[in-house]
Amino acid sequence: MIEQEKKSSATTVFRQQSNGLRGRRRIGELIIQGLLFFSGFVSIFTTIGIVYELGKEALLFFQMPQVNILKSLTTTIWQPHTGNFGIWPLVTSTLMTTTIAMLIAIPLGLGVAIYLSEYATPKARSILKPVLEVLAGIPTIVYGYFALTFMTPFLRSIFGKDVVEIYNTASAGLVMGILILPLITSMTEDALSAVPRSLREAAYGMGGTRLEVALQVILPAALSGIAAAIIIGISRAIGETMIVAVAAGAGPNFTLNPFKGAETITGHIVRISGGDLSYDSIDYNSIFALGLLLFIITLTLNIISQRIVRRFREVYE
Amino acid sequence: MKEKLANPNYDVNIEGRNRGGLIWKWIFQASTVVGIIALTALLLNIMDSAFGYVALEAKVDPATLTVDGVSLENQNKEQLISVLQSHISSGAYNKLEKDQPFAERSVANIRQLILERVVKYDVKKSWSLWESITSADQIKQEAIKNYPNAKLQFISWLSSDFVDRPQSSEALTAGVRTAILGSLWTILFTILVAFPIGVGAAIYLEEYATDNWLNRLIRTNINNLAGVPSIVYGILGLAIFVRALEPLMSGAIFGYVDPTTANGRTVLAAGLTLGLLVLPIIIINAQEAIRAVPQSLRKASYGLGATKWQTVWSHVLPNAIPGILTGTILAVSRAIGETAPLVVVGASTAISFDPTSPFSKFTTLPIQIYQWTSRPQDEFRSLAAAAIIVLLIILLGLNAAAILLRNRFSRSY
Amino acid sequence: MTKIFRTSMFVIIAMSFLLAACGSATPTQASVEPTFAPTEPVATAVEPTTAPTEDPMAMYAPDAVSGDIVSAGSSTVFPLSERMKQRFEEEGFSGNITIDSVGTGAGFERFCKAGETDISNASRPIKDTETANCAALSPARTPIGFQVGIDALAITVSKDNTWLTDVTKAELAQIFSTATKWSDVRPDWPAESIQRFSPGTDSGTFDYFVEAIMAPANQVDGKADVPSGEKAILDSAGTQFSEDDNVLVQGVEGSQYAIGYFGYAYYQENKDRLNILSVESVAPTAETAESGEYPLARPLFIYSDQQIMQDKPQVAAFILFYLENVGNEILDVGYFPISDAKLQEGLDAWHSAVGE
Repeated sequence: MIEQEKKSSATTVFRQQSNGLRGRRRIGELIIQGLLFFSGFVSIFTTIGIVYELGKEALLFFQMPQVNILKSLTTTIWQPHTGNFGIWPLVTSTLMTTTIAMLIAIPLGLGVAIYLSEYATPKARSILKPVLEVLAGIPTIVYGYFALTFMTPFLRSIFGKDVVEIYNTASAGLVMGILILPLITSMTEDALSAVPRSLREAAYGMGGTRLEVALQVILPAALSGIAAAIIIGISRAIGETMIVAVAAGAGPNFTLNPFKGAETITGHIVRISGGDLSYDSIDYNSIFALGLLLFIITLTLNIISQRIVRRFREVYE
Repeated sequence: MKEKLANPNYDVNIEGRNRGGLIWKWIFQASTVVGIIALTALLLNIMDSAFGYVALEAKVDPATLTVDGVSLENQNKEQLISVLQSHISSGAYNKLEKDQPFAERSVANIRQLILERVVKYDVKKSWSLWESITSADQIKQEAIKNYPNAKLQFISWLSSDFVDRPQSSEALTAGVRTAILGSLWTILFTILVAFPIGVGAAIYLEEYATDNWLNRLIRTNINNLAGVPSIVYGILGLAIFVRALEPLMSGAIFGYVDPTTANGRTVLAAGLTLGLLVLPIIIINAQEAIRAVPQSLRKASYGLGATKWQTVWSHVLPNAIPGILTGTILAVSRAIGETAPLVVVGASTAISFDPTSPFSKFTTLPIQIYQWTSRPQDEFRSLAAAAIIVLLIILLGLNAAAILLRNRFSRSY
Repeated sequence: MTKIFRTSMFVIIAMSFLLAACGSATPTQASVEPTFAPTEPVATAVEPTTAPTEDPMAMYAPDAVSGDIVSAGSSTVFPLSERMKQRFEEEGFSGNITIDSVGTGAGFERFCKAGETDISNASRPIKDTETANCAALSPARTPIGFQVGIDALAITVSKDNTWLTDVTKAELAQIFSTATKWSDVRPDWPAESIQRFSPGTDSGTFDYFVEAIMAPANQVDGKADVPSGEKAILDSAGTQFSEDDNVLVQGVEGSQYAIGYFGYAYYQENKDRLNILSVESVAPTAETAESGEYPLARPLFIYSDQQIMQDKPQVAAFILFYLENVGNEILDVGYFPISDAKLQEGLDAWHSAVGE
């Protein structure tokens, strides 16, 4: 009896929907879909805008007689005032700081995230996660000065004042790693938490220890989220400006020694744009070319990593 | 595997595996501890500069400001007013009268004014908190020896006055009120812009988009934008919002501002620029959150006859809110600490009036901090440390609100 | 769904109330005509030699004008302008003044190319290209410069350095380019490598040092050549360039074989850790900087335009106040005052611009 009643009411509702309201809702759906598509497209507009703005001025730079693209890509001195436009000092410095930062951030970040999601009590988790997110909110200039006033003397006391210069990429990289740590932790932890409970319980049911379940079942299942976190981390490290501007020095230097000062691409851009140079000088136009270069580097990295991630992504349900 | 289990000699090695698990658990805990140590070191470093002894030398010795033999601390209101009037210019006196008539001002207020305008303490030397605690006696001796006319005082650069006062070029009277309001206004617009567009884009990419080239392009593009240095967004914001859309940004199009002084360097332009900056963060996090909602939920919803949008709005989104809010927290944290793009877009460095609308000129806390750290005088760096603490408190407040929301919606399957 | 909607609406409304409440807590600054004749401020360093407090001048008193003043430019002049702005506001100015510290070049760009600012702060004289840009604006602007102070460059060494007190300009050029050991410059100096610290290439201090020291030492066709002077210092081995003068201070005080240069104010704040060198036997003091005897003293300017000063009397009032009162504040900020004669020149230029 009851079932019959339920069935009839359900069909009545369905009939109501299909007769009166469906038409209206469909137009609403289309509008909403259009709005959503537009939102997705805003990012394209942004990129077009960036490429246009950078490209416009970068073109001016490349048209200058002192600048030769081939020489730029092959020489290792960057000093616009003396006519040297080799990009490699800036690029190696950027890569060095990024590598050091990721060497800190990825292992620590994953470790903290696994601890928070698998081992910590919900109360500990609800305290620790926000605390770590505070790290993400500290303004980057603070990190820069922290690197200069704490990390550099610390490194100097370990390795000696002659080995470690007052400006060096190591302390900038280490502090950048601390900056990126909460980013990776937060996103990884979200990804790990989102793995369906059924998977966890099935693994425990099969006799796995907590570690084995975490590393061999949950981690691979959350891989796409973790990969996204790492990609964002790397992108953030490459694009970070203030920490390297303050702690890595203002002199471009082609070296693989992390204890020497070497300006990165972003540090150079921020220094020149904030300085006393006039707007038509070659130094000033070079920052647009550098911005474009940075854009291309991150784009390449992203395409490669997306290919990798797509191969390994697992979908559940 | 079956053969392995069937073999009675197969050692499942529970102890070994558990031991391994324990070691890794310590490793993971150690990572957390390292993170916390880093945070503590940072905070201690900041707090070290924000409090401490200072040697203050007065331009005009307060002992000379007696009226009828009554010293400054014991004077009544009329005597204080007469002291003030005889030492500052009439223009300044009239301005103070206009701001708030002296009849209404409290005695403490007038005495404070005298200290600021007449006595004019100057910081001769400042010491960090650690030094002040551990070597107090040495500091006292040094102060007596090197600065005989100065009085030694322990001050907290972070005080309620600090938060309440507008900008000033003198360290002792400086405040961050204008900067705090500027930061809050900017963040408000950043979130108003970035949150709907970001979540909308994520919904589109996860729910509606097919796997064609355009959508793959959008996805790659968003990941790429997350890595563009913030100053490039500043340049973009300058070109589009400040220059090209200037009438809209300055409010001239609404008749809000006099067109002759209109300028695109407003809170609105800054908010939009930062909105573009944090958009990728929100999109990527929202995407992951939506992706993590189990398909079974969606299928169940369709099974009951809901349309796509109904499913998204009523089922997918509420379950994805925790992840979306994480993205928002990260975005707000990023935006509130940005300096470089705002300098390009035109945050003022010296400004003493509070922002009153989206079309106001403004300054923000990080810019103030950056400006103060580059000054030669030590006391400005102490001010910068105090301002950093204020910024962190604001950030904690904003994050706490989002975290409360996140915890309410958190569910596990 | 309604729960989320309600919560978010609540948050947004709460935030807007908070902002509105904070905003309205500031005292409203309405420009009210004073009911008494305003007089010149009590403490002035230099009495203007024009007739004091006659009616035309009264209209330029701080509490008689209102409106906006937009200013941008040099980060060196910034602390000084910020101080004068504060004093101006204390004396009764009710309008809004904003100053942006973006660099001399960027300041001129805003003044001459975008026409955004009323006053441009500069740590060097305006260039011809920049003047041309101003002329190309519509309406055209003719920049008028007012010198407001002098920034002396301090050549410093660590407090531990007991053997170096005086250098010549030529020796300084050598120290910052070709010499690797101190003994290369003067044999009786120690045979240790020189640790050099310098501001970066984007800094006005760097440009000035190159122009004053490096260029004359690297001559081309018998004339001081800036590009080769620049090359000489940029090519010098192991020189640490820095964006932040405070860091240069730290670097120099770290070793007795270190040497660096930066604005005098940074030396003054760190007198207990640094020694300053005399250049050509002249030590930098207020007198030597003002008279030009100290060879490394660069002028600080504010620039405006006649039309702006006439259309916006608050701008003219601010400039007048600046010129008259900068002498009281400049030593405290960390620079040196200009001579009375130079100040008078500025005041004369002001009067002719304003049309009195």
